[in-house]
Amino acid sequence: MNYKLPKEVLEIAEGIRSMKIRGAGRIARAAVKALKIAALGYRGSNVKDFYDYMMYASKLLLATRPTAVSLPNAVAYVMSRLSRNIEAFSLNEAVDSVVKWSDEFIEYSLKATQLIGEIGEGRIKSGNIVLTHCNSSAALSVIITAHRKGKDIRVYACETRPKFQGKITAKTLAKEGIDVTLIPDSAVRFFMKDVDLVIVGADTVAANGAVVNKIGTSMIALAAHEARVRVFVAAETYKFSPATVIGELVTIEERPPTEVVDKDFLRRYPGIKVRNPAFDVTPPEYIDAIITEKGVISPHAAILVLREEFAWTLEERMKKLKLTLNYEIE
Amino acid sequence: MREYEDFHKLIGDLRDGRIFGSTEAAEKALTFIKEQVGLCSSLNEIKNTLIEYVPPLVKARPTSALTVNCLREIVELTIDCIKRKMDAQKVKENICSKIDEMLRKAHESVKMIAGIGAKRIKDGDTILTNTYSYTVLNVLEKARDEGKKISIFIPESRPGGEGIDMAVELYKRGFPVTLFVDSAVRYMMKEVDLVLIGAEAIAANGAVVNKIGTSMIALAAHEARVRVFVAAGTYKFSLETFLGEIVELTYRRPEVLLSSHELRALGNVKVLCPAFDVTPPEYIDAIITERGVFAPQAVPLIVREIFGWPPLVKDISVLIEELKRC
Repeated sequence: MNYKLPKEVLEIAEGIRSMKIRGAGRIARAAVKALKIAALGYRGSNVKDFYDYMMYASKLLLATRPTAVSLPNAVAYVMSRLSRNIEAFSLNEAVDSVVKWSDEFIEYSLKATQLIGEIGEGRIKSGNIVLTHCNSSAALSVIITAHRKGKDIRVYACETRPKFQGKITAKTLAKEGIDVTLIPDSAVRFFMKDVDLVIVGADTVAANGAVVNKIGTSMIALAAHEARVRVFVAAETYKFSPATVIGELVTIEERPPTEVVDKDFLRRYPGIKVRNPAFDVTPPEYIDAIITEKGVISPHAAILVLREEFAWTLEERMKKLKLTLNYEIE
Repeated sequence: MREYEDFHKLIGDLRDGRIFGSTEAAEKALTFIKEQVGLCSSLNEIKNTLIEYVPPLVKARPTSALTVNCLREIVELTIDCIKRKMDAQKVKENICSKIDEMLRKAHESVKMIAGIGAKRIKDGDTILTNTYSYTVLNVLEKARDEGKKISIFIPESRPGGEGIDMAVELYKRGFPVTLFVDSAVRYMMKEVDLVLIGAEAIAANGAVVNKIGTSMIALAAHEARVRVFVAAGTYKFSLETFLGEIVELTYRRPEVLLSSHELRALGNVKVLCPAFDVTPPEYIDAIITERGVFAPQAVPLIVREIFGWPPLVKDISVLIEELKRC
């Protein structure tokens, strides 16, 4: 069944799809905010129908971007709680609870970024040169916290084709008074010799500790590995992917070619295929540590975080899997 | 006066990479010198022409070993001619025919390289290349003419976008081409059968100087056990490196990365745009030259064969001083 959703919810969904709203953390917060707006905008009178309405809104939001797991995790934070309690709720209780859980998640998410800054800045020493990629609030939190604690640091920011998010990073850091240099993505290995550590964000952390992040991250990690430069990933625990525990692969989104070349180019040279993968996968062996709001872990210990944080959904997923498997065996 | 303006444009184009291919760079520089020498009517004029134009040409493109090697030969030849008391007309003729010969040789070498290199390409191969290269283009065409179906992967090659130029060139010649951003090279590498690149210069230890990003590609290929071939004539060996000199890597102006308007809007942000990088020999499987295929570590062997051992090279600035005195 189709429901009419408040305009603002549709705008947020479109914002995530078109990348006006970018960054795993910002996407997660925008999605739960949309759930809250949807709940407050519900015009029916039946709690069962409200649940279906909220599920409809969730699916719409989940379909916007396939790779960043923060989106399904954030939606699940609210919706799994709703699903567990719906039988006992009146409509008013259900709406109030969605609002409460949404606010809770947003507050938690913001606090987590700040905590990651506090925990991660310990890894930066005064005089260090840091290289970062794209525009990650978690990674920036680490760099800015170190700077505010009086550490004298310099930053190399990759411009990050095709959408140049590196320029936003450079601008933000310059405003903080940090010495920042913008470089083309192809020059990462050229500069790696000068770099003391790499800090990047993450869109998704898989069960084996592999990190899915903006295209180019795995090249940077490889070049850092070659030069024995440490690589840190700043990621909130809601960026860990429970689906990968039961064997699912993270889908890598390939975005429209018009982000790389203009329409005119595509028309003029129809035979040139333009591919635009938005993310790549950095294997755990190139990552020294993942900095989460719960502490610094080895990427290989990702499963620990997943078991702690996502016990409920893992159990559910396992049960479902067992059911289908038993059925197939019979 | 017109020559003067042309010269400044040429220097700018060489420096900022508007003339990107190393072969084209040398061709433009040599043709310019030939034209200028052709206008001279006395020995002094010839001397002054070289003294005025050679050092800035070298300075604009110090990485291009081909340009440096050719210009050095011309200055050496001129000194030799003057010492042998030739008249202006004779010297002019000598210089011009030398330049013609060098250009002819460069093209012949490329054809030889194409013939040898094409053999390393198999039917059905996906080949990754970087930036615009005349030599690579010839190898690929030769392989295709031999009936091999090949497809080309190429990154856009920021900041200049020479990869896009190369993609268009390949498209016009009928190759299936796939274009992507520079940072996607590792992502694509699993689908690649071999990497084929050109060179701006090859150093004494077999390290290859080429467009920025090449060393990242070679590293990603090495990691994925994809072979890396460099197609470059022996005239791209940087002889100075045998005497301990380091190939000077130039930077391009920040404006090639972003407009000055944009730069101002970013606030207090610095921009660095290296034009070239160095790929270490351990990431290169073979260098394909007009004299055959060999390991990058064997560069000294070939140099000994051609130039003797140790290769007697004089720095261009030393030669220019010599020219001034004779």
